[in-house]
Amino acid sequence: MPALVIPDKSKHLNIPLIESRVPKPEELVVISQPVLNATIRIGEALKDCPEKWAIGGDAGEILAGVNVHPDHFTILTTTAGSEEVSKRLKTFQIEGPKIVERQLGRNAEIGLTPYPVSVKSFASQFRVDGERVDVHGDLQIKVGDWDWGDPLDFEPEYVYVVSVKVPVVPLELKSELYMGLGWTDRVKKINQAMARRHHKIV
Amino acid sequence: MSATITEPAVDVVCLGVGYMSGVVAAELTKAGYTVVGITKGPYWDYVNDFSMTKYDEWGVGLGRKYDSPLPLQSTTIRNNSSQFALPVRRYTMPIQYHALGHGVGGAAQHYGGGMGRYGPWAYQMKFLTDGRYGSGFLGNINPQDDTHDWPLTYLEYEPYYKEWEKAHGICGDYNGSPTNLSSDTNNPWMSANYPLPPHPTTPVGTLFQSTVQGMGYHPFPTVSALASQAYTNQYGVTVNPCVYDGYCGGPCDYACETGAKANAAYRTIPYALNTGKFTLVTNAYVFRLTYNSTTHQITDCHYYDGHGNVHVQPINPTGVFFNGMWGYNMIRLMLLSGVGNPYVYNSSTGMGTGTVGRGLTNGYTPNKGTSVSGTLSIGANGYPAGNGAGGGYSMFDLMDDNFDHTNLNFIGGTLVSAGGYQGSGPGNITFAGGVGSSAMGGPFKATQKDKYLLTKVSVGTTPFTPDLPTYMNYIDLDPHYTDAYGDPISRITHDWTPNVYNGAAYLVNQCKPILTQMGATNISVGSAVAPYSYHTDWWGHHLRGGLRVGTDPNAGTATAWAALSGYNQLYFTSNTTGLNYFAAGEITNTTGNNATAGTHAAGPQSYRAAEGIVKYLQNATTSNVNYLA
Repeated sequence: MPALVIPDKSKHLNIPLIESRVPKPEELVVISQPVLNATIRIGEALKDCPEKWAIGGDAGEILAGVNVHPDHFTILTTTAGSEEVSKRLKTFQIEGPKIVERQLGRNAEIGLTPYPVSVKSFASQFRVDGERVDVHGDLQIKVGDWDWGDPLDFEPEYVYVVSVKVPVVPLELKSELYMGLGWTDRVKKINQAMARRHHKIV
Repeated sequence: MSATITEPAVDVVCLGVGYMSGVVAAELTKAGYTVVGITKGPYWDYVNDFSMTKYDEWGVGLGRKYDSPLPLQSTTIRNNSSQFALPVRRYTMPIQYHALGHGVGGAAQHYGGGMGRYGPWAYQMKFLTDGRYGSGFLGNINPQDDTHDWPLTYLEYEPYYKEWEKAHGICGDYNGSPTNLSSDTNNPWMSANYPLPPHPTTPVGTLFQSTVQGMGYHPFPTVSALASQAYTNQYGVTVNPCVYDGYCGGPCDYACETGAKANAAYRTIPYALNTGKFTLVTNAYVFRLTYNSTTHQITDCHYYDGHGNVHVQPINPTGVFFNGMWGYNMIRLMLLSGVGNPYVYNSSTGMGTGTVGRGLTNGYTPNKGTSVSGTLSIGANGYPAGNGAGGGYSMFDLMDDNFDHTNLNFIGGTLVSAGGYQGSGPGNITFAGGVGSSAMGGPFKATQKDKYLLTKVSVGTTPFTPDLPTYMNYIDLDPHYTDAYGDPISRITHDWTPNVYNGAAYLVNQCKPILTQMGATNISVGSAVAPYSYHTDWWGHHLRGGLRVGTDPNAGTATAWAALSGYNQLYFTSNTTGLNYFAAGEITNTTGNNATAGTHAAGPQSYRAAEGIVKYLQNATTSNVNYLA
């Protein structure tokens, strides 16, 4: 059957038009392939790990739907967990676990005064599929001249990544930490993700 | 104004941006190609568009504000070729209550999330039936039988199923195979489990599971496409879990405000957009392909934008068109454009010629099916969550050819399921089925009073055996009615085939003992419905066929790669004589699996098509290459 004649004239219809805006790429929460692959590798290596652990940092946040772009992995665990992770990721290890204290690149913003933020942990470092992985056992945080806080404790939430179940640090805890540090931009990002997850604000 | 706006050429143009185009857009942009997706509706943002306004039961359920505008997407319907087909002019209850897709994500914005694989038998229905019951069996049970097999076997589709399930975060726990061996032809073997665990089981689901297990059947958690957990797919797209608000089922299958309900908008399209190689054109109504009948090439498509301006979207000289439109829109566009060989039915011979439009089937339970039902007094969970597919159990044991059909007057069987969530939110309010005098006032209130705190629950099934393809059921262009732009709309000629009613009459009696064993009371079995005593009187998104995939270009339309056939050389030559037109989403044969499992069966085809398109694009400039081999 031949094609019908192709109209070349415009024709406006009087039917409702639902205007829409296509999101820009940077508005979409999409994990890069290297980070995704490393997540799966880590999840498989730490499957059934008896010690508490979870993916934290930006990687943990994006897995929970926060629009951030991680440049490395952070795994939060206990001191015993740090040893266990080292055993399981031994082939990827760059630095073995030891007590490390360092100052973060971003200050706490409390009131109008910036305070340096330090962290201390039983830390080790790995490189998995090209991605840097920092492991922190019993991470403590110190702001300015205040005392060190208690080792960070948490009940992980779980995210399925393709076919691997991985624990992540709960967004509620991250939001609380950021709020304490005055990092409201990060709180806002988490709130946006929470609003999309549960249509509620934390 | 007569200006025609020509857009920049790209490698691949996806027509319609629903489930199938989502896969192609993701896979092709991943492979580095430029892709344009054109869809007639908007881009839906689930938070901004649905989180507040979806609770407008009147506007969504009755006003159909999220649905496809009928001036653009209607059809005429008749039951046989001697009738005058009349158009669908409005969405009515209960007959036209199924939402059709409008915008990114398509019809999958509006479904209950039922999923599941077709079994191995479904792919070789004709071959296996002829072999077991004789070559005359299908012709005897199905007048003017036009059944054909899929081009590939289940085992060949299995890897594509796996990709599809990963992409969309399907929930389940295998398919009930006792061994999960690829040699199990009764159950869909899985090389990997579903990526997400099933939803929490309801008390009825648990009871059904233990009962049928005790009867020797093989139940498995009902498969759902609503994410049971937070998820990230293989494209890195993050997915929120279901919040069980109860508003995803109901009379209109309400859209999801957390994106947990799988569809292209929230699984594959975000990845494609994120690559920067995908351009999404919304509120754009494609009305024609420009087809060169000498080279068998399509060079461009024409569409109206939201303001009525005509745009031309060309492809690169070696580019490809992928038609991912819904059902009869896909067929209609081909017929409007002179693409493919249109099907023409000859009522005097009971046969037909051509392929485009041929083999229409309906993948849904007839409105007047034979049912078995009973009442359980178990203080059942009346939790008003939606996603009826979640929380229950299903079994394949009465599906396909998993029982002997010798001396029976039908083929195939039904997926038996029970225990899905009761709720569906607005569906608790009985308006989907219309309101009769007995359901108004006091009786209505009495019915609604205990909806959320159930002490009793109805259980039952309306078995659905496959609606088999025949020569007399088909789609063509209506000679009388047009869309708002003046182009003919499609015409559906369809009536339920005897297989549907004959199968139901038999299977209700197989299901009755299950209800008895479950402890149901007031069990009643509906009377058998004689074939052709009730007729197709509705359209819906479960219509299938009309653009089948197959190995016989004279019977099927698309090749195993979902590329357009009709010419033998298409299987073996390069684009110098081949067609640069691919499509997916069509079902060669339906089965007794749940309605949207048809989408699931089409899904693997979209991966197959994407693979075929990549092969085509890699070899299109080379002469005499079997790019589809």
